[in-house]
Amino acid sequence: MGAILSIAKTTIGEAIRRRVLLVILLVGVLFLVIAPGLSVLSLRQNYTVLTSFTLGVIQLTSAVIAIVLTVYLLPNEVERRTIYTILSKPVYRWHFLLGKYLGAVGALGMMMLLMSTVLVLVFRIMQQQASMDDVLQLATAPIFFFVQMSLLAAVAMFFSTFVSPIVNFFLSGGVYLVGTLFSPVFQDLSNNQTLPAAVKGAATVIHSIVPNFAQYNIQGGIINQGPELRSIELYYVQIVVYALFYIAAFLIAGMMIFDRKEV
Amino acid sequence: MNLAIETKDLTKTYKTSSGPQSVVKNLDLQVERGEIFGFLGPNGAGKTTTIKILLGIIDSTSGEASVLGNPAGDIESHKKLSYLPEKPYYYEHMTGVEIMQFYASLFGIKDRDLCERLLNRVNLGNDMNRPISQYSKGMQQRIGLAQSLLNDPELLFLDEPTGGLDPIAHIEIRDLILKFRDEGRTVFISSHELSDVERICDRVAIINKGELVHQGRLDQLLSGGRIEITADNLTEDVANKFRGDDFTVSFKNGRLIADIPDSAHPGEMLDAIRAANGDIVSVIPRRKRLEDLFLESVAGDNVLKGRKMSKMTDDHNAAEAVEVAKEEGAN
Ligand SMILES: Nc1ncnc2c1ncn2[C@@H]1O[C@H](COP(=O)(O)OP(=O)(O)OP(=O)(O)O)[C@@H](O)[C@H]1O
Ligand SMILES: [Mg+2]
Repeated sequence: MGAILSIAKTTIGEAIRRRVLLVILLVGVLFLVIAPGLSVLSLRQNYTVLTSFTLGVIQLTSAVIAIVLTVYLLPNEVERRTIYTILSKPVYRWHFLLGKYLGAVGALGMMMLLMSTVLVLVFRIMQQQASMDDVLQLATAPIFFFVQMSLLAAVAMFFSTFVSPIVNFFLSGGVYLVGTLFSPVFQDLSNNQTLPAAVKGAATVIHSIVPNFAQYNIQGGIINQGPELRSIELYYVQIVVYALFYIAAFLIAGMMIFDRKEV
Repeated sequence: MNLAIETKDLTKTYKTSSGPQSVVKNLDLQVERGEIFGFLGPNGAGKTTTIKILLGIIDSTSGEASVLGNPAGDIESHKKLSYLPEKPYYYEHMTGVEIMQFYASLFGIKDRDLCERLLNRVNLGNDMNRPISQYSKGMQQRIGLAQSLLNDPELLFLDEPTGGLDPIAHIEIRDLILKFRDEGRTVFISSHELSDVERICDRVAIINKGELVHQGRLDQLLSGGRIEITADNLTEDVANKFRGDDFTVSFKNGRLIADIPDSAHPGEMLDAIRAANGDIVSVIPRRKRLEDLFLESVAGDNVLKGRKMSKMTDDHNAAEAVEVAKEEGAN
């Protein structure tokens, strides 16, 4: 356990100093700050426009950071041979992978916290009429983005055990896009009784392999509520458990591949 | 079970685009406890690959390897060994003492004092709070040795520990390694610095293209030296008597220089020179150097053969120059 946390800590320390990530983060923060100005330009300047724009910026920035950060974690260790020193200590490979993953999530969390803070500040200053409640409500969205990004990082971690960073970048990005844009579609297809069995089957397979990223897009409490949804809290618990399950599945699969890999 | 490392028929085959390629072939190594074992071979001979197998970082294709009595890669053994990879890298944002604490934590050690003591031991006491990015190569190599001592290891794997270091850093590290042995540790060291190896190793193995060529005590491997005989005022046909397998002979202006194995009855040769009224200038016994053994071991290579010959000739020219200088001094 100590080894896993040390590896995570070191990974965070390194990640928050990586220039590429800092530049991406800076661009994100910059967009957040100028967002009110931009929404003035879009005639319908109102709370909703500003909300969806800024949350969109946070989500996109976080997704790019999550992928760019994670795809290089293992390959860099191999290339710089730091992994050899670590694996020659009494450290199992799964310790190493888990430590790296937790480090990625930790660094991601810190960067997202920074953006969320800027978000809250921007709303406090620009939307004086919005109540503190509204702003807090707004701040729940990044929390679920964080869950979403942790899941995305697990996907990227999994791929990084067997593909190169560049390929991984597109693979993870692709999975994220499909999981964000098309998950509801696949869900509908797999539940549609009128479709041929083959199509339904394929939709079900894709729907269960590709994580449903869409369900984490919660904007100010508005979500695509299903009929079975009783309370928002229950929904939150459900999607967090869902994320934990998928994270575990991707990490365990990754560990199994990494364990046999020649590094 | 007194061996620190033992391999039997160890083989590693990589699948490459040009077909399977064996980079370690049927390797049988025995490393005894408490010795400094030199693991030698030209670039690409398979030294690092072998070390990685012994550490369980990669798997062998076939054969057996045991380290400290356990199969290679066993986590229990990893508590009692350490490894300094070739050209190591350390997280540059950390300071010396932070790196030490990081590696210590991988053993579950939380002792900052120990980290500082070890840094002092490798003369980094004053630099321990500087970031690694400011460390010179020699300092990085020393911190590598310091981290390799964190778990008070019984066995150390050092892959080219003196690569790219200046002569002073070099000597410092060599002395440290000698102290490791005094402390009862086993040191498995891969190196291209033959003079270092010759000075500090008890036993060596030389591999070439993945195959073991020599293994044994250094003093035994280097016994069977050579003798260099220099004589003047001889004729070509006397010189020709000295041609033979494993003889290196040059003849010019009546001067003969013969480099012969000491098993070749030098007494008879000296008699022959006297009988032909030649003047014996010098008879110099030379212990075989590790370099000779090394070059012999890898001599399958034509390039190396060529280099060996030209090197011998250079040596003779140098010897000749010394002789001439002496004569001139005498006159
Ligand atoms: N992953 C790999 N796939 C294919 N071939 C490899 C791989 N790793 C190493 N090799 C080959 O194995 C051979 C031995 O490499 P190794 O690094 O063990 O040599 P070495 O003796 O340590 O050399 P050096 O003195 O240069 O460090 C080389 O020819 C190398 O190209
Ligand atoms: Mg090597």
